[in-house]
Amino acid sequence: MRHDFYLAWRHLRHHRTRTLILVLCLSLIAALPLGLHRVLDAGEYWMTRRAEATPLLVGARGSSVDLTLGALYFSEAGVPAIRMQEADRIAATGWADPLPLYARYRVQGQPLVGVTLDYFDFRGLVPAQGELPAILGDCVLGADAAERLGLGPGDTLASTSENAFDLAGTYPLKLHVTGVLAKARSPDDHVVFVDLQTAWVIDGLGHGHAETQMAAAQPDSPFGPATVRRADAGLLTYTEITPENLGSFHFHGDPATYPISAVIALPHDVRSATLLRGRYLDEKSETEIVRPLDVTRGLLQNIFRVGALFDGILLLVGAIAFLLVALVFALSLRLRQREIETIYLLGCARLAVLRLLFAEILLIALFAGAVCAAVLAAAAPYASDLARHFILS
Amino acid sequence: MPTFRILSFVLALLAAASAWGASAVGEHKLRIVASNYPLAYFAERLAGPWATVTLPAPADVDPAYWRPDAKAVGAMQKADLILLNGADYEKWLAHVALPRLKLVDTSAGFRDRFIRIESAVVHSHGPAGQHSHEGTAFTTWLDFDQAAQQAEAVAKALIAKRPELKTAVLDGLKTLHADLAGLDSEVKRITAAKPGLPLMASHPVYQYLARRYALNLKSVHWEPGEMPPEKEWTGLDKTLARHPAKTMLWEARPAAAVADDLSARGIASAVFDPCANRPESGDFLAVMRQNVENLKTSFQRR
Repeated sequence: MRHDFYLAWRHLRHHRTRTLILVLCLSLIAALPLGLHRVLDAGEYWMTRRAEATPLLVGARGSSVDLTLGALYFSEAGVPAIRMQEADRIAATGWADPLPLYARYRVQGQPLVGVTLDYFDFRGLVPAQGELPAILGDCVLGADAAERLGLGPGDTLASTSENAFDLAGTYPLKLHVTGVLAKARSPDDHVVFVDLQTAWVIDGLGHGHAETQMAAAQPDSPFGPATVRRADAGLLTYTEITPENLGSFHFHGDPATYPISAVIALPHDVRSATLLRGRYLDEKSETEIVRPLDVTRGLLQNIFRVGALFDGILLLVGAIAFLLVALVFALSLRLRQREIETIYLLGCARLAVLRLLFAEILLIALFAGAVCAAVLAAAAPYASDLARHFILS
Repeated sequence: MPTFRILSFVLALLAAASAWGASAVGEHKLRIVASNYPLAYFAERLAGPWATVTLPAPADVDPAYWRPDAKAVGAMQKADLILLNGADYEKWLAHVALPRLKLVDTSAGFRDRFIRIESAVVHSHGPAGQHSHEGTAFTTWLDFDQAAQQAEAVAKALIAKRPELKTAVLDGLKTLHADLAGLDSEVKRITAAKPGLPLMASHPVYQYLARRYALNLKSVHWEPGEMPPEKEWTGLDKTLARHPAKTMLWEARPAAAVADDLSARGIASAVFDPCANRPESGDFLAVMRQNVENLKTSFQRR
């Protein structure tokens, strides 16, 4: 038997190009469906785990899939804004704790998400370096975002203004990186997190500016000059928040009307969850409540249906490829007719030829299996990235 | 005999469990941060030994005008509860990142009865046009009924955080309410003796006190340690012509020269300390009792 494999190995080595093509064809035919399943499994795990950890989600009425993808996985499509009063409304019921988040912007390709500090506790996100945001204008980076942007605590990055050419509009804000979060293996790894109030400053709802005029008015400090600080349209709006100008930052309007993308509702128990869901039964309401797990399962079912279609196609392609490989072998046997006759003339039995052919096929299968395993192993770390790219983008 | 043994064993188990429970509570003391001393005092009285209450504003600074730096915010982020006075008291709140679920707005229950300060600064910029930054009077606790509501909000937050402390907290709230109700009824009794008696205040911080107890109060904008300029005295004389007050309420004892000049105008100085920061001696209740005594003396003056 050892000699069969030796002869088979020598034969395959002699016909290197043909062997290489066969190995590559077979390994890719095996790797493609397996790789696809890996990506789907990674996507399922990644999405289900996130959805399971998020009991209820409140957002603008419309597509529950868009809402879930936007609020949980920070998809580029985003979600229509709702008002901050929705979070207050949930808190007022006493049935759930609200976690508002605002995921409207992106900064250098990474999602810029405004959250309250409670979000970090909820997701179990802790800084691996530095601290969480403390002051207006601070930001903390997810592990992958920090790596991609090449930033760490003490660095700065500018928020991307939506209307950079609108001189009367909002300006990019220079954000101070206070920390980098430990890797969570979740969509949070790709995010630049700011406090919700900083997100509103980026949105132009809050700003700070130099005081330029002094006008006569009622005194605001004892025995000081009877003046009042007055600002006008000609003043300079700060684009960086520093300890010196922090006091001049202020918001306009009622914070309850400020925009957010969604509210994660954390009900205190099952009864509270049911009662809270009952509050959103009105079809005319501008907001809706969804169970991310239900939405994600529905989405995954569709994805798996597409996956099954791919499986069918790949099975057909595999069968055709197998037939082609068989044809290649049959043709090669014909080409090797004289070689086989020589083997008989040397006194070998017919079985010896079969054993030789079996050894060749086995060696090719082994090589193809090894290449397939190597390709899958090399692609494994990117499975969740690929899943996020193909499923969520 | 076996019954006795089993009973002894069960009792021993219960005692051990109780001791373990007590030590467990002790080991995990609630970390409470209060934005002013009245709230810190309420929390200390209600949570007793089960909490560590911190007032981050330095002792020599009025907490209403204190601004936390990043380090102070970091310390607040680690707290279990952050007690806020509300009523626009914590002007720094819009500048810092704090966990909303740990914030307790103790005056939210009477938000609809806040007193607005009308002399707001007006400015304009951008397409939004003119707008103003309206203010709210924030010394809410000088209305002792409101103070009691704030104490109740603190108690509710404590119970929500540590349900096992419910009985102790409610007992503490009962006695605290009784103390505040005593102050409330005493001030009502004092002011009812001379309704509409004109009074002056050195600082516009007594809005809620004046509303609750129907004080006929007008304010100047003076500091206890500074001699007001001549213009201020002229303004005071004009006010006194229409509002013949015999007493001026001060947040702290005024400088002797100021008190003498007021005395020359027939105005006595009485301290009514809002006690926003931790007093050098005594506690919130002792300071408020002294305030009430000082007010009583003012009302007894002819």
